[in-house]
Amino acid sequence: EDFPWTCRLMDGKGATESSNPNRVVESVPSAAVASASAPTKRMLAFHFLRALSRIHGAAGPARRRTRTIRRAAYSSMARATGPRRAWSRALLLQAQARARRSRAETSRRAAVLVRRRVVAGPAAAPAPARAAPVGGQASAAAARAALAPPPPPARQAGEPARSDALRRLVPGGAGMEYCSLLEETADYVRCLRAQVQLMQGLADLFSCQ
Amino acid sequence: VKTMSGRRSRGSVSEEEINELISRLQTLLPTARRRGSSSASTTKMLKETCSYIKSLHREVDDLSDRLSDLMSTMDNNSPAAEIIRSLLR
Repeated sequence: EDFPWTCRLMDGKGATESSNPNRVVESVPSAAVASASAPTKRMLAFHFLRALSRIHGAAGPARRRTRTIRRAAYSSMARATGPRRAWSRALLLQAQARARRSRAETSRRAAVLVRRRVVAGPAAAPAPARAAPVGGQASAAAARAALAPPPPPARQAGEPARSDALRRLVPGGAGMEYCSLLEETADYVRCLRAQVQLMQGLADLFSCQ
Repeated sequence: VKTMSGRRSRGSVSEEEINELISRLQTLLPTARRRGSSSASTTKMLKETCSYIKSLHREVDDLSDRLSDLMSTMDNNSPAAEIIRSLLR
């Protein structure tokens, strides 16, 4: 390959994923298929790089780009993991809700522009302009309802108070049983660590220009 | 990765299963103390897990900032942009 250091980046720089002996090295284009095992570093890289290339194309203020990159980090982690984990499902739902909200906001803004443009227009003009905000509000409300956390199960006997703090840190942690929370935490930590290594590798790569 | 979901279907989760999950979690922490006995307090271990997750979140924030800066100086013809394109092909 022309860029040997990128192979190292994709395969991980010495970090061991010893907990997953069944990991299959897939070619990047087919990485979109969710596998039963933990995401490979290659899959993490694929999803994140795809998001980065979209972000790179878009213009915008630096502050917003930082936020977009951060969101891309979490959503690409979730996409690479797929729906098999509660934490990744929670992140995917959050990303969807956010996309719906921004679409609703965009259509609301467009509706305002339509109203402004047809200031002295026919009476029929306000009707379509009104429809968009209503639709936007309905979907925003639905998104909020979807995000409302389910009432947490009664804390099990022997579950330490500290687990509440953990529930707030792990996506989707609020409604989990203690046992699931521990499993999800381990998986989330492993994936988060791999994502940090990926971003570190990319930053190092882009730094040597 | 072995999951506990099969055993959980029995109803209540045993102390033993919880302890196993906790010790597995403990091995992921950077300050893993592999003592023989599980005398390390669960509360302390959970506290360490929380701070570890928080520090990982902070790293993601910092790296996002750094990548944002680096990408702003990257034009479409730079080697880095070409790398991204070739990796995605």
